[in-house]
Amino acid sequence: MSAFAKLHPTVSLLYFASVMSVAMFVTNPVIGLISLFGSVLFCLLLTVRGKKIKEALFYIAVMVLVTVTNPLFSHNGVTPLFFINGNPVTAEAILYGADIALMIVSVMVWCKCFTAVMTSDKLQYLLGRIVPQISLILSMALRFVPMLRRQANKLTRTQKAMGMYSSDSYAERIRSSVSSISVLIGWSLENAVETGKAMRARGYGLKKRTHYSDYRFVTQDAVILIICAVLWGTVLFGMSRGVLDFSYYPQISAIPSEGLSVICYLAYGCISLLPFVLETEEIIRWKYYRSKI
Amino acid sequence: MKKRTAALISLFAIPLVIVIGNKVFNDKQYAFISAAVVILSLVQFFLSFERKENAGTKLVLIAVMTALSIAGRMIFAVIPGFKPVTAIVVVTAIYFGKESGFITGAMSALLSNFYFGQGPWTPFQMLTWGLIGWFAGVFSSQLKNSRIYLTVYALLSGIAYSLLMDVWSTLWFDGVFNVRRYLYTVFTAMPFTAIYAVSNIIFLLLITKPIGKKLERIRIKYGL
Repeated sequence: MSAFAKLHPTVSLLYFASVMSVAMFVTNPVIGLISLFGSVLFCLLLTVRGKKIKEALFYIAVMVLVTVTNPLFSHNGVTPLFFINGNPVTAEAILYGADIALMIVSVMVWCKCFTAVMTSDKLQYLLGRIVPQISLILSMALRFVPMLRRQANKLTRTQKAMGMYSSDSYAERIRSSVSSISVLIGWSLENAVETGKAMRARGYGLKKRTHYSDYRFVTQDAVILIICAVLWGTVLFGMSRGVLDFSYYPQISAIPSEGLSVICYLAYGCISLLPFVLETEEIIRWKYYRSKI
Repeated sequence: MKKRTAALISLFAIPLVIVIGNKVFNDKQYAFISAAVVILSLVQFFLSFERKENAGTKLVLIAVMTALSIAGRMIFAVIPGFKPVTAIVVVTAIYFGKESGFITGAMSALLSNFYFGQGPWTPFQMLTWGLIGWFAGVFSSQLKNSRIYLTVYALLSGIAYSLLMDVWSTLWFDGVFNVRRYLYTVFTAMPFTAIYAVSNIIFLLLITKPIGKKLERIRIKYGL
């Protein structure tokens, strides 16, 4: 498990909320680049398995596509490069497209990290206190998905033994699948009612229930929460003062670089790189301890 | 206590979000406000579901229907856009009421995205599918008895799903509602919209009667 994933679920959730809210809703190329850099570094450390090159190619394709298609939707801007069907394709529109592409890809990569870190058990833990019934539905549905697939497998094999799926024709396959699915639905509904009865017999719905939880809020969680809150607050303050404002239309404005803007960039850079720093520290510590053995 | 929380959320949080969005997120304020309002309305629906103490059996049945829609989405993942989720959400709403329909829709979106990838679109998908379930519950008596209403509802929900999701992607791209981009998105998504609508009709006409019969049988067998 990664160092960041060991944090308390509340802290992880607030972290992703703060880092993604800025990445999604601020139009500023510097913020976009920082966000992409941080998310990619984090993602590279989280995903150990292959397919990295394929995914990188996919994201690059998305970026190119969004960039080149943006001039189709907007003819704003004062620097026409060339004309298509009498409509100007402006430098501003292309650059704005590149900025949107940056935002989209970085948010997608953050979401990838989110899925890897916020596993369903953590989500359930967070929901369990506020909406216990919905959290119960969530945990049961998650458990039913693999169960249904296993049962469907069993059903198909039984039906084959009974002589269904006898020919490869399309009609026969559909007829057999429909009868399998029908049996599956009937079986799972009965199973659900029996589970419900068993729950009642075991005292579901009584008052004073306790929750199972494996998470403890430790000092490290508090420290990281405070650091995030301060950094995020700084960025929000800068945003409300307008020091991060950047506009593409009608003309590209200068990148804001006064004192407060630079402080905001630094603050956001620290938030974005926080998981990377935590992971790297863990790796270094691991290597150090191993070297002492 | 929970009732009061829900009421307070609608009273204060939404205007508050609009003010914050206006003050802090200057040119992306519409995207921010729409995202925040969607999340708040989801919270509102969830709290209103929690207000009632539901029987364990009902919760398990909702969970099974959610699992069936996710498994269905996985089985049909090879054909893009062709998924039984809407149909299962609508059937649940018809037989268990509008709240159950909403929860099944929202949970199907949230949980299936654990397999298909979470993204900023997750809350919007949750709300859209939830609302499809909610309205199916509102019109349950008509939908239960008439195949024509069922077909019309299946068609409309496929189109509405596509149109609503495109509103969100337009807002997300431009920060404001760029009509040109919206029309273009709707236009390029047309084949998908058609597949949504057709698959909804096929699945709903196929499964509503059999599932209804099975539920009726279970009701008699277990004396619910």
